[in-house]
Amino acid sequence: MTRQSHVSLRPSLFCSALALGMLAQAHAPAVAATNWRIDPARTHIAFAIDAIGYPRTHGQFRQFVGRISVDFAHPDRSSVSFHVQSRSVDVGSAPFDDYLRSDAFLNSERFPSIDFVSNSVSKVDDHTVRVNGQLTLLGVTRPLTVDVAVEREAGGGQRLAFLAKTDIDRLEFGMNTGFPLVSRDVELVISSAAVEL
Amino acid sequence: MSPEARPERWSGTIVALHWAAGAVILGLIALGWIMVHGGLDSAATFDLYQRHKSWGFVALALTAGRLAARFASSSPQAPASARWERRLAASTQGALYLLTLCAILSGWLVVSASPLPVPTRFFDLFVIPNIAPPDPSLFAAAELAHRLSAWAIAALVALHVAGALKHHFVDGDDVLRRMLPRRRRA
Repeated sequence: MTRQSHVSLRPSLFCSALALGMLAQAHAPAVAATNWRIDPARTHIAFAIDAIGYPRTHGQFRQFVGRISVDFAHPDRSSVSFHVQSRSVDVGSAPFDDYLRSDAFLNSERFPSIDFVSNSVSKVDDHTVRVNGQLTLLGVTRPLTVDVAVEREAGGGQRLAFLAKTDIDRLEFGMNTGFPLVSRDVELVISSAAVEL
Repeated sequence: MSPEARPERWSGTIVALHWAAGAVILGLIALGWIMVHGGLDSAATFDLYQRHKSWGFVALALTAGRLAARFASSSPQAPASARWERRLAASTQGALYLLTLCAILSGWLVVSASPLPVPTRFFDLFVIPNIAPPDPSLFAAAELAHRLSAWAIAALVALHVAGALKHHFVDGDDVLRRMLPRRRRA
């Protein structure tokens, strides 16, 4: 099966200064902003969910718009947002995707977008930032805090890799179908990479 | 019915339905085992469940057709076997009809009463309605009945095949041949 990645990104929105001060070089000088952009090929919004008597289901959302703005000198001014098209769900089976798009789960027709918008970003340690924000799923908005691991990558040019893992409780968003046969916790794994322009 | 009025062999319709239903039912048992125990990933498992459901309704149509054809036509003369053998053969065949219907209807109940209602799309053509509302205890009971009847069918098919082979190779009669497609005359 050929999987196509349709990632809509707005490079200009990623041109905010990336605060490496939040990361390994905590005392790097707050010089002029460095421009970065997200690498669509290395950005994955993945999820996994368990069910009794059924293999763990792994999937991804293929279409989204993401914005990451990191302020070098003022970490709290950093922000992140992702707007994910719910109908782009892909678990590797077209009939399964259709079922997940139905009103049993994502209700994509009525709720085409799953949104995460940060409220605040704080530094945890040299390799981790904590992002507090709001997740909107099925029209229900709930607070979500995610720790994001950030790594500088070696190689030509400057590269940053981001990895965020968290669990959400789907029942909080009114996604009750199949519970308790299908677990309430959905694991989210969001990985991304930013490249220096 | 007098022996003279009985046909020498099963009609072409009955023969065709017999082998088609046999192939579909054995295929369903194999598919059912693989989708539950095959260790496949979630997407492949989902696809196999959908196929299993569609083929289950094919089995229902074939079984209904078999019963109708069986009642509409007369059967060939029973072979000159011992009485217990004839009784065993008749009970096995009757039980296979009953268990097939039980497996299909319990499967339909499993799908209907499941706490996770996945619509049954017959080969992606149209949706087959459910016959019960979601109900965890009915779901568990139907699942047990479905599994037990599937295993019982597998065991009885083995007995049925053993009986047919015994007729053919040990007794040397035409019990198996008259259920085979008619050969064209040269």
